[in-house]
Amino acid sequence: MTEWAQRLENPLSARLRDPATSGYAGIVLGVLAAFLGIPPVQARSVTWQVVVGVVAVVFGIWTVTRGRRRLGYGAAAAGLLGIGLGILATRSSVDNLNSVFNAALIAQTFAFATPLVFGAIAGIFSERSGVVNIGLEGMMLMGAFWGVYGADKGGNWSVGILVGAAVGGVMALVYAYFAIHLRSDQIVGGTAVNFLALGVTGYFFFQLYHGNYVPNGVSTIPNVRIPGVADSHFLGPAIGNLNLMIWAGFVAVVATWFLLFKTPIGLRIRACGEHPRAADTVGINVYAVRYGCVVLSGVLAAIGGVYLSDGFGGGTFTDNMTEGRGFIALAAMIFGNWRPAGAFGAALLFGFSSAVALRLQVYSPSASTLFNVLPYVLTLIAVAGVIGRTVAPAADGKPYRKQ
Amino acid sequence: MTEPDATAPPETPEEAAASGTLIASITLKQRAGGVIVPVMTALLAFLLGGVVVAATGHNPLLAYRDIFNGAGLNWIFHPTTDLTSTSAYNLSQTLLQTTTLILCGLAVAFAFRCGMFNIGGQGQYFIGLYVANWVGYDLASWNAVPHILLAVAAATVAGAAWAGIAGFLKAAVGAHEVISTIMLNWIAIWLGSWLFGDGGPLQNADNKAVPISNDVAASAQLPVFWGEKQLQGLDVGLFVALAALVVFWVILNRTTLGYEVRAVGFNPDAAAYGGISVKKNLIRAMAISGAFAGLAGALDMLGYLYHFGVSDIPASSVGFLGIAVALLGRNTAVGVGLGALLFGALLFGTTHGLTSGVIQPELAGNLTYMIQGLVVLFVGADVLILYVWNTRKRLRRTAPAEEVAA
Amino acid sequence: MAAPVLELRGITKRFPGVLANDDVSFELQPGEVHALLGENGAGKSTLMNILYGLYKPDAGEIRLQGRPVAFSSARDAIQAGIGMVHQHFMLIPVMTVAENIVLGAEPKNGLMLDEGTAEKRVRELSQRFGLVVDPTALVSEITVGQEQRVEILKALYRGADVLILDEPTAVLTPQEAGELFEIIRSLRAAGKSIIFISHKLNEVLEIADRITVLRRGRKIETVPREGATEVSLARAMVGREVLLRVEKEPAKPGDVLLSVEDLHVRDDRDIEKVSGMSFEVRAGEIVGVAGVDGNGQTELIEAITGLRPIASGAVRVAGQDVTGSSARRMLDVGVGHIPEDRQRRGLVLEFSIAENIALHDYAEPPDAKWGWLFPSRLVERARGLIEEFDVRGGGPLTRAGGLSGGNQQKVVAAREIARDPKVLIAAQPTRGLDVGAIEYLHRRIVAERDKGRAILLVSLELDEILSLSDRILVVYEGRIVGEHEGEVSEHQIGLEMLGGKERSAA
Repeated sequence: MTEWAQRLENPLSARLRDPATSGYAGIVLGVLAAFLGIPPVQARSVTWQVVVGVVAVVFGIWTVTRGRRRLGYGAAAAGLLGIGLGILATRSSVDNLNSVFNAALIAQTFAFATPLVFGAIAGIFSERSGVVNIGLEGMMLMGAFWGVYGADKGGNWSVGILVGAAVGGVMALVYAYFAIHLRSDQIVGGTAVNFLALGVTGYFFFQLYHGNYVPNGVSTIPNVRIPGVADSHFLGPAIGNLNLMIWAGFVAVVATWFLLFKTPIGLRIRACGEHPRAADTVGINVYAVRYGCVVLSGVLAAIGGVYLSDGFGGGTFTDNMTEGRGFIALAAMIFGNWRPAGAFGAALLFGFSSAVALRLQVYSPSASTLFNVLPYVLTLIAVAGVIGRTVAPAADGKPYRKQ
Repeated sequence: MTEPDATAPPETPEEAAASGTLIASITLKQRAGGVIVPVMTALLAFLLGGVVVAATGHNPLLAYRDIFNGAGLNWIFHPTTDLTSTSAYNLSQTLLQTTTLILCGLAVAFAFRCGMFNIGGQGQYFIGLYVANWVGYDLASWNAVPHILLAVAAATVAGAAWAGIAGFLKAAVGAHEVISTIMLNWIAIWLGSWLFGDGGPLQNADNKAVPISNDVAASAQLPVFWGEKQLQGLDVGLFVALAALVVFWVILNRTTLGYEVRAVGFNPDAAAYGGISVKKNLIRAMAISGAFAGLAGALDMLGYLYHFGVSDIPASSVGFLGIAVALLGRNTAVGVGLGALLFGALLFGTTHGLTSGVIQPELAGNLTYMIQGLVVLFVGADVLILYVWNTRKRLRRTAPAEEVAA
Repeated sequence: MAAPVLELRGITKRFPGVLANDDVSFELQPGEVHALLGENGAGKSTLMNILYGLYKPDAGEIRLQGRPVAFSSARDAIQAGIGMVHQHFMLIPVMTVAENIVLGAEPKNGLMLDEGTAEKRVRELSQRFGLVVDPTALVSEITVGQEQRVEILKALYRGADVLILDEPTAVLTPQEAGELFEIIRSLRAAGKSIIFISHKLNEVLEIADRITVLRRGRKIETVPREGATEVSLARAMVGREVLLRVEKEPAKPGDVLLSVEDLHVRDDRDIEKVSGMSFEVRAGEIVGVAGVDGNGQTELIEAITGLRPIASGAVRVAGQDVTGSSARRMLDVGVGHIPEDRQRRGLVLEFSIAENIALHDYAEPPDAKWGWLFPSRLVERARGLIEEFDVRGGGPLTRAGGLSGGNQQKVVAAREIARDPKVLIAAQPTRGLDVGAIEYLHRRIVAERDKGRAILLVSLELDEILSLSDRILVVYEGRIVGEHEGEVSEHQIGLEMLGGKERSAA
């Protein structure tokens, strides 16, 4: 009560003394320190980065001493990282920086993020219903190959999306049968899906396209040119001409949030993931809900894959094309705490780091690797509980046995 | 039969297993199905693989025969030590793969016995490769024996430490080892492309144009006992791997450490009640798992690879194959040995060894992945195979299922 | 008598090796509270799960309002107006009260879940039947008594006319139980029919209109409350004289071997479950701890055996302060422990009998030396103990999971006693066992007392406490509220177990 009284007396200073505030402020300042070095601010001396970064570290230590250890260490780390990256930026030439950090980076971030968005949403559906889906990578890979095959043979990208989604759904159905009906271990089953998808796509890629490439001229998923915006100086390259699937990804995030948290179906899905026995006793068919969610998961992951091959990739396929994106999507889902908005944010962050990594390749391979590895390191830190704590649905991964 | 409690009907062993740890359930089913289940699992996987082969217009029987020959397994029909014979050469290459897979299988199996699923064998293997390459390239002035021992030991310890991170995170904050080992895999992969990539610290000193490592110094290369070093002969690593199988068995069955690991794997609550530190054993079991994988990396690097490039990284999947090896081999020493031979034969027999026109190596190589996937799928769900087996027994003598399983 | 709202006729249900229900018939009148009384394992829950559509009966029929019905799932039973409050609540902690109640039958507003209507309906229902609970609260934040109300509201929301309450007071404090009985009366007044499952005689006599007694899967009798007494019901329920007499000499207590001083222990959710217990156990005596489940017994044992950290207080074994020691050290100083759940904690079911017997000593000679294990010595040791403790159903290499419950418990007892402990803690040592095994273990416990061990017996079975103990401690809400030596009535202890004495003392 006294604490409240103090806050009422002097709300601002009390708020500032709150260790949580100083911790988050430290993290924000750490990020700011890194951004000072790059366009559009582009400070050319190291002074500002160091000053802001040090302030972030001080805030972090302050927070640690006030009891919020994890948050505090997070802020201190952000500060140090910010100083490092800020200094790194000042050592690069202005031209390089301008070509790495421009409006098109936003578009590229979205492009890299979109397969992750679909994959993470896919994972959310499956895991919210109580089925762990390590097989996202495989389902995405199936979508990537059969999607471009569908677009090629069907003559239209929309056929590609349908075929890819259907194959992803079938793959998920097989997995669902093992995970739900046979109650096999879900991690083992998901691993099997990944191997199987790798073999099936590789086999049919060679069987159907002997020369190991998809012929040119496959109907690709089009971009959406927004009149007016497309010609704008900054917004144009950023969002004026994005691929259709990027926008579809945004819609999918909102739709998933709505479905899971605002509708009766969502309530039932979450009930199956938290306490299947409780759901069963009120007459919800747990198996049906889980089957539905796993298949939907396969469909969504596969759509992410189709985008990869027939949108982002411009109608091509290569062996093991997903290259671990399914696992980054899984990481984004965990990082986002099994929530659509959180997963979307994580996917954007990971997409951003991939986009930056690609652009840095030319100037600094080491820095490029650093950005490539960032999603995995961040997720490892997240599961270690250093920054906050991720909580999976209570019954996630536990096979349900009907009585 | 267990006594019924007030609320639930007595469970059949299968159902009891479903509620226990993964290793408890696998062990229970193993006893129920015996050796027949893994054999049927493998056969079923080959059968379904054959269906795909047939459906795409190839003769599956001929294809499998060619893979068999490509792996050099036809060597047993006319054994010879003469490596100019194709079958002998193919066999030596299959055994080279088997060496790696034994250790990668043990890396998965040991963690399994402690109730954990080590998906990170691939990353731990890479760490072993990197460290062996680094130590093997440096210290070129050393004598062979200390140099090899140091390189192997360093790589093994590095693999153990890498896996130990996941074990520590699980013990300290309960982070699921599957998620953390997946992340560690990718971190190891990117670490490799940084180390050996353009400007990386371990990139070839003489040729900065290619993203490839230095060659291991001659003093650190393992002796080859069958074939020529230049022709990728079979090195003594095979014996190290076979010894590792024995070590694995001895640790688990003849040491107090193994007793603790198995107790924690089967029932952590009972282990804690018995005075065993569960956390300590989680970390220790993961580290030992990682040591096996790191050793695999060391033997590959010092035995026949000698160098490694950025483009080799995505091509390697031995760590993941280890999962199939361990699961098919039921996490036992003998099973892992046989599973490694099977997948080693598949790995070489479907790619470099395959010379027939029945099925192209590109197809056959992917067939390996498919079979691997099917094996893992069926092993994870041997309720299915157990069901078939029980039905058969029930037909033969009308015994209730729970008796068969118990 | 009016036409019954519900009738079960000749229900038989078999599980592998067990006949759970044997030709049970039962009828429920509209507006009555009908108690189903029986010991653990008598088949009460099985019968109700059949009625609720969770199990299929092997024989017999269910009639609702005179019409035969067949339920293949809970959904069928719910639609027919049957609601069940399970012993273990079926609630989702991360969702709100209202969400839990409407789950599966949600009010909709177009596509959306209509939360406003949901909350309004829950409020209406809770006011009508006097079940006070906040619909917007998260289930994880409400008390156990409130959770139970949510369960009842769940059934009422679905229009249940028949309510099954499965052991509803097992998890409640006496105050909460009193409130529950008020709720039951108001439901009966509103015309609902209630099946009240219990094994507690006093409760049944307080709330039921009629009482049906089950024993070993069979129906024994149905009697009106008027004229029924605790004695008559107990005889029907147990089928023999209630007290199992154990032959034993008077205790000759020696030195204090276990002393607990002002002990405080918290559970996993950081709630204090042991609040300042102090007691001593001397060599050559059995001290029984009586109490309703969940009053701190589990946490007390775990703290003494080093399996749970101690918040404050002290534990001494034979005069040595061992407060806060590890499980390993507690074993080493001579504390033996027969745990309350032998399958979850007492045994590694996948291990052989020999390996289970070595669970504490696997790292010491003769089992092992310098980290090297000698399996043949494990087997040798086990062989002797199997004979001594009369373990049947297998040899040293038999998997523990393959033994019957009684023999599993003998393996646990053999291991603990063979270590020659100074202090032996026996928690629920005979739960779920047959009479033969119970008698064996009781005799053995008395024999170990006579060898000079200090024995702490924790049991939920009052019979067992009364017949074995030389001294009885009664625990209630983490405190010792009564201590008795010599003759004491079951009634007196029962009263204290429900916190009766504490109120007067406070």
